[in-house]
Amino acid sequence: MYEVFAHTADVGIRVRAGSLEDLFADAARGLVSLIVTNLEQVKPVQEKVIRIEGDDREYLLFDWLNELLYQFDAEQLLLTDFTIRFDRDGLTATCRGERMEFSRHDMDHEVKAITYHGLTLERKADHWLAEVIVDI
Amino acid sequence: MSKPGFHGPLERVNDCCWRIPKSYKKGMRVDGLIYASEAMLDQIKGDQAPEQVANVAFLPGIQHASLAMPDIHWGYGFCIGGVCATDPEEGGVISPGGVGYDINCGVRLVRSNLDYQEVKPHLVELVDRLFRNVPAGVGRGGKYKFNRRELAQLMQLGPACLQDRGLTTAGDLDHTEAGGCLAGAVPEAVSDRAMERGSGQCGTLGSGNHFLEVQVVDAIFDDVAAAAMGLHKDMVCVMIHSGSRGLGYQVCDDALKQLRGVPEKYGIELPDRQLACAPIESPEGEQYLGAMCAAANYAWCNRQLLMAQARDVFAEVFGRSWQSLQMNLVYDVAHNIAKLETHALGGRRRRVWVHRKGATRAFPPHHKEVPDVYQKIGQPVLIPGDMGRASWVLVGQAGSMEQTFGTACHGAGRKMSRTQAVRQAKGRRIDQELAARGVVARARGWRGLAEEQPDAYKDVNTVVDVVHHANLAAKVARMRPIGVIKG
Repeated sequence: MYEVFAHTADVGIRVRAGSLEDLFADAARGLVSLIVTNLEQVKPVQEKVIRIEGDDREYLLFDWLNELLYQFDAEQLLLTDFTIRFDRDGLTATCRGERMEFSRHDMDHEVKAITYHGLTLERKADHWLAEVIVDI
Repeated sequence: MSKPGFHGPLERVNDCCWRIPKSYKKGMRVDGLIYASEAMLDQIKGDQAPEQVANVAFLPGIQHASLAMPDIHWGYGFCIGGVCATDPEEGGVISPGGVGYDINCGVRLVRSNLDYQEVKPHLVELVDRLFRNVPAGVGRGGKYKFNRRELAQLMQLGPACLQDRGLTTAGDLDHTEAGGCLAGAVPEAVSDRAMERGSGQCGTLGSGNHFLEVQVVDAIFDDVAAAAMGLHKDMVCVMIHSGSRGLGYQVCDDALKQLRGVPEKYGIELPDRQLACAPIESPEGEQYLGAMCAAANYAWCNRQLLMAQARDVFAEVFGRSWQSLQMNLVYDVAHNIAKLETHALGGRRRRVWVHRKGATRAFPPHHKEVPDVYQKIGQPVLIPGDMGRASWVLVGQAGSMEQTFGTACHGAGRKMSRTQAVRQAKGRRIDQELAARGVVARARGWRGLAEEQPDAYKDVNTVVDVVHHANLAAKVARMRPIGVIKG
């Protein structure tokens, strides 16, 4: 699950999940929910495989969200459904979604960037917790 | 994330200035100085912005002080409203966080020969047409398309390269900070990804706090300066606030990625990752500077094309060319930028990189970088407020060179988070409330207006009072909004 929290000029996303895979998928949906309010209207008709490399989990999360932001800004691709696999060198995600359509998608924020400010990813006793602040 | 306030020291320097002594934190190289009135302090201490002022004081090569303007609020790394100058000769660094994601976000003001009474009967039509013709909002591409070679030109030359398409005049360039072109631009340092994000976005407003407003001059405070700018009471103006769009965001992002591990490489200790930096005289620093200057030039093109589209709409609605409407550019200022400037420090003139993150250059009269027509009055400083109250035109004063590396504030500054603003707006129609105040507002969605409602911002008048009394910039004219378009 994700929730959106306040930060003076910008907006944060807080994610709790039972697995790292779910954490990354929910963080991604949290990000896309800032761009389009009716996520359920995004149909999983197009597939895109994304590869992110790195060994630092926080940077991996950062780069992952950044890649999704790029897919939207350059390709207008809204991705909301994910199958994520981690390996030693990073992650591979099969992402599903579709191109933005103003007639069906209720567009909301222009997310300028993912920021490092307050970026955290921690393993708690029985779940994973991550926070990231995005620049609006 | 919890939001604890700032509990460190804020010592009074004078009525307009408060000091965080460098003894506050081990690692601070200079004091922090916050320009604010006493009444603003509670609000300022309510979040971590002062802590960020202290953190910036860690940067190698920082001169004089880590500064903040009265519109200070919590950012990431640097506070918004933050100013710092670093000297390359003292190992000074350049920090992308000190510029921000939206490189050369800025404001321009266009005058006209229309008075409010002439525009009033056409106001709804005017704002509707502006909303239709000026691309605004997330995912809205522009009508101008540039191929890679043309994009590289925009980044190298700024709006000057739009002259042969009839989209820029010599007068526009003369009235743009730096002539709309930073000399150090290296388009090759801009990534393919940044180019892709930027190729269809030049001439688009974006969303968030970006806007295009139709305004009326409702008070003049300095007749001579107002006359030099061609402003008089009741005149209708256009104010445009936007930046470098996806291209600039990607340049900043690329730089922050490239700078991972770089501070450690040069032995630089930082209290916050978002302050990532590199020595100005290093391959990493030079790479960022080349790309940052390129993105800045692109941003000036963006505002130029936004203005061109606004001029066209006015010409359609009023049936006269923009030239006959005398829709001349008063000035264009950058408020997220780093620039190499000469400042007097310790009795000698030094070349320093001035980072302005949500702060506006405010050069005084007779400064050589001020256009000829403004030599006697000083550089116009444009301060947008919120969409219900006011925006301001000021002129740079001598005090800015003595105190703040020629800098003043950049806006009202948020006081409510976006989520808080939306909560407060539940069940309200912000557009109707604005209409009752005489402001025609058009936005893509309810939420955009809710987040940007006037109450979400500090009162810009109090911010302007501080820079005026601190002798950083002097009041010339106040405008009130009558038409607003938002993404």
